[in-house]
Amino acid sequence: MDHITAMDKIASTREAFIAGLLDVAPDDPKICLVFADSLKAARATPFTEKYPDRWFDVGICEQNAVAFSAGLASTGLKPFFNTYAGFITMRACEQVRSFVAYPHLNVKLVGLNGGIYGGEREGVTHMVFEEFGILRSIAGMDIVVPADAGQVRKATRALAQREGPGYMRLGSGREPVIFDDAMPFDFGKARVLREYGTDAAIFAVGPILKRAILAAETLAKEGIKTTLVEVHTLKPLDQDTIAEVLRKTRAAVTLEDHNIHGGLGSAVAEVIAEREPATLIRLGLRDVFAESGDAELLFDHFGMGAPHVCKAVKQLVARKRKS
Amino acid sequence: MRPEVPPLIEKARLLRRDVFSMIHQCGDGHPGAALSITDLLTALYFHVMRVDPQNPDWPERDRFILSKGHGCPSYYAALARRGFFPVDWLPTLRKLGSPLQGHPVMKKTPGVDMTTGSLGHGIPIGAGMAAAGRLAKLDYYVYVITGDGELNEGILWEAVQSAAHMKLGRLIAFVDNNGWQSGGVIKDVSGLTNLAAPFAAFGWHTQEIDGHDFSQILDAIEKAKAEFERPSVIIAHTVKGKGIPFTENDNAWHKRVPNKEELAAALKYLGGS
Repeated sequence: MDHITAMDKIASTREAFIAGLLDVAPDDPKICLVFADSLKAARATPFTEKYPDRWFDVGICEQNAVAFSAGLASTGLKPFFNTYAGFITMRACEQVRSFVAYPHLNVKLVGLNGGIYGGEREGVTHMVFEEFGILRSIAGMDIVVPADAGQVRKATRALAQREGPGYMRLGSGREPVIFDDAMPFDFGKARVLREYGTDAAIFAVGPILKRAILAAETLAKEGIKTTLVEVHTLKPLDQDTIAEVLRKTRAAVTLEDHNIHGGLGSAVAEVIAEREPATLIRLGLRDVFAESGDAELLFDHFGMGAPHVCKAVKQLVARKRKS
Repeated sequence: MRPEVPPLIEKARLLRRDVFSMIHQCGDGHPGAALSITDLLTALYFHVMRVDPQNPDWPERDRFILSKGHGCPSYYAALARRGFFPVDWLPTLRKLGSPLQGHPVMKKTPGVDMTTGSLGHGIPIGAGMAAAGRLAKLDYYVYVITGDGELNEGILWEAVQSAAHMKLGRLIAFVDNNGWQSGGVIKDVSGLTNLAAPFAAFGWHTQEIDGHDFSQILDAIEKAKAEFERPSVIIAHTVKGKGIPFTENDNAWHKRVPNKEELAAALKYLGGS
């Protein structure tokens, strides 16, 4: 039983985050929420109504919100700052680095509208597809990108247990349901979801995982046997699991809703370079900016569809056979 | 003169000796910026603040943030002389392995409540500390010293706005108004004048004092502490390089290291060998 559903339903990662916080807040009075006029976008009223003292809204100023959160955390509170992902990780990048990560404070950053999935209606200023790279280069930063709402709820609980700075990417609130409720979330572990064989590995992160699953299934039907791995924790990276899969397959495709520079593709390339040589094709935004439009159409347009994954795998398999 | 003042004047003289010696030994630092805040720090650490050097993480302590982190030699001297760590740590400033970093770091130096250095962050972070204190029903105050040139930074005004909106009455900020920033006189470089006015416009309680007159400093802090609905700012008119005749009001000492002769002359003036 691999806990993968029919993937034909939608559920909100934003609501799941608040539900996850409400799971842990009763037993942990240190948990609080910080907004930059983002309470509505975060769908946070179930929390703010239940805990009217435990939230702060500083207005539309993300740098201030991160610094304010650092001040809260310096006294022992566990603030979760929640607004659009790009505004946290780009506009307030220095505050995240120097006043949260450097003093290793217990501030959790929860970014809405991550990737194309998030910004489909708004356009590029409200999307972010650079933050994995930005945050991966900041020491001591946890980075988790759950694949669906159920996973977000569990990842929220996991983050609340951890000491130190963390980031979780959420989407628009219309993400596909990928896993059933019994699927655990094991912080820091890459997980093998399908093991059809060792022709190639497919590594994927976030809700776009749905497309990787479909690609692996299609390929299997065609006789090409892949190993499909979800890497929901980008940092700390589960290098051992990734290296083990690479050792068996010697060929890898990465799929992420992010620029191919700096994110999952780069992380896997680092493991390949340092530990297990393999051929690699990185799928994601190929160093271009996305545009407005329906998310699913955008993914297809920018080369992140299941057919693109299939094509990349076939290229690698052909290369393998030649050598 | 208030009776508390004479010992504070003596303490500040001692701290200034430490500051000049540290920067000489280290070979780097910002003497001008450190000397203009020595009296404010002396008042805070040797008279005003509720702290316990034996228990630097005491949850009920008053907090302090040196927003202008480059003034840290004065800060380190104050913490050492107050007993947070041994005075013989001071010569290790900025050296590999030292707990005394080039700018303050909260988890390396006992008594440092927040990491600072990049300008503009003291009031935003202090607001978070003050809000946390209110949530925890603790009655501590949060003190911040920010530079005047530092008021150029936008994030500072974001927090001036939100701290007033949140009615953070236990947040008390000093502006070290020495009139200089790195590149020259403030009114030439960035054009800032009438520093109290924008704070007042955002709803802060404002005062202006001579930042080297201990009676005025103590009076102003008492008035600020009595304000429970509004955060307070005290514009402290100061002299960059204060306390050593040849560094006063000379921006060449923004970031200059005293040589042996200059150190000897300063120590002689400050009353030591």
